[in-house]
Amino acid sequence: MAVEEYLAPESVSRFQARAFGVGTAALILAILGGLRSPAQFYQSYLMSYLLVLGLTLGSLGLVMLQHLTAGHWGIIIRRPAESATRTLPLIAIFFVPIALFGMKYLYGEWLDPQALKEHPLSGFQQHYLTHTGYLIRAVIYFAVWLALMFIFNIWSKQQDVNQTDRILRQRFKMLAGPGIILYVLGMSFAAIDWVMSLSPHWASTIYGFIVVGGQLISSMSFLIAVVVLLARYQPLAGVLQPRHLHDMGKLLLSFVMLWAYFDFSQLLIIWSGNLPAEISFYRTRLYGEWAAVAVIVCVFHFFVPFFLLLSQDLKRRAQVLSKIALWLILMRLVDLFWMTRPEFTSSAVPSWLDFVLPIALGGLWLSFFAFNLKRSPLLPLGDPQLAEAIEHHEH
Amino acid sequence: MEQRSHIYGVMAEFDTPEKLIHATERARAEGYRRMDAYTPFPVEGLSEAMGLKRNMVPLITLIGGLFGGLSAFFFQWWANVLSYPEDIGGRPLNSWPAFIPVTFELTVLGAALSCVFGMLALNHLPQPHHPVFNVKRFVHASADRFYLCVEARDPKFHLADTARFLQGLHARHVSEVPDD
Repeated sequence: MAVEEYLAPESVSRFQARAFGVGTAALILAILGGLRSPAQFYQSYLMSYLLVLGLTLGSLGLVMLQHLTAGHWGIIIRRPAESATRTLPLIAIFFVPIALFGMKYLYGEWLDPQALKEHPLSGFQQHYLTHTGYLIRAVIYFAVWLALMFIFNIWSKQQDVNQTDRILRQRFKMLAGPGIILYVLGMSFAAIDWVMSLSPHWASTIYGFIVVGGQLISSMSFLIAVVVLLARYQPLAGVLQPRHLHDMGKLLLSFVMLWAYFDFSQLLIIWSGNLPAEISFYRTRLYGEWAAVAVIVCVFHFFVPFFLLLSQDLKRRAQVLSKIALWLILMRLVDLFWMTRPEFTSSAVPSWLDFVLPIALGGLWLSFFAFNLKRSPLLPLGDPQLAEAIEHHEH
Repeated sequence: MEQRSHIYGVMAEFDTPEKLIHATERARAEGYRRMDAYTPFPVEGLSEAMGLKRNMVPLITLIGGLFGGLSAFFFQWWANVLSYPEDIGGRPLNSWPAFIPVTFELTVLGAALSCVFGMLALNHLPQPHHPVFNVKRFVHASADRFYLCVEARDPKFHLADTARFLQGLHARHVSEVPDD
């Protein structure tokens, strides 16, 4: 198989340009709005940032997962997933505004001396949750993720050329296991720094897993939507089969259940303990206007997708599965809204920036993703399982 | 009519899964419906060639799961609210979050058990004996031969004609399967 045969279709370039235009326009609009209300800007920015971060890091997790499990579904999504991981430099750039300007609007509870005087941090937190510590740790997280991303992408590129390299396959597997642990650990710490510290007097040990579970849902959904779109054009037309979609749908279902399991475990433990220090998280989120958002997340992020994804027929239908997937990405945004915003306001009515900023960051991210997608063949041509993975044996 | 009480069907033996699939497709096209294939390993595409419709196992599993979950929740609610109301740490009697883990576990249990036993029941298992074992050569079905058996209860079945038809499909061997 020649590399040229499997390059991305022309429409990817058009998409890249369009996404860049929309993203840039939305970003300019959002910045103009941000000059007037910077606090609102950074609250919306953090939520949007967590969404695109999830798409990127979740894909990194899935790349490593498919190296470990070696399923046919993994070969189909591997290149889109790798392209998504290569947006990581952009994700690092997106972090800069938070680090430079946004921190004082977001993390006032542990940065503002006045607030600290009223509610002092615990002994360990005083040393851990500091401005410098936050920045140093962010650099470490990005260093680890970028290293994993570069290694997996470089090896994958080498495999396209050296199709018979057995050592390369072994290396993928050797690094994928520890890599997944590094990703989950790193993201757990990052979730504590970036999200959980919005309410520094509250802590939950499962928080990082909830965030990782959400990232896996959004990235799996995104990759399903991408391969279904790509399958409309050559060269992937005819490659994507119902059995691949079936497997991806099953995986998506399991991620939805995993995330719900983590989220519910936290609720159950805190609800059972009923301790003043712990229940603050749910006091703000399960009462008043936020109760409505909680119900939306529970019903439309879990129950509806769960029952739809149980059906074998729906999982095997590309159009239906990709719609469920896109719906779940939207629900991720609602869940992130519910996770972050109640720390700032009791009003669950979104600001206009909550619509413009996801479009801005999402548009630019998608544009970079499309750019990456064009850099390599859409299928891992050196993977020894490729022929088997794209073979048709449905009579 | 007379022959049907003595004969279970006619069985053809094939060398390769491809020949079996081909023969099955031809037999279906010919109008035979009551037939079954026997292979030493799962053969991809055989179910489609036999025109097997989706079975009831998923539905049975769903019903079993729902029954397990609902009964678990109901039982906990009944025990805590009606049968033995007890104030535990000031929590409401209907402490539904605490009921969820058991509800979840019994959903899984109900779904898994009904899936396995539903599958066994639909397959008429356990079945100590089956007429196909009356054919001596059938021992190869667990090694390297592939069998298609057209059963006598098929309306189109005719001992001589069906045997001739199967012979024409590159069968290695065609045997009558006596029904005892």
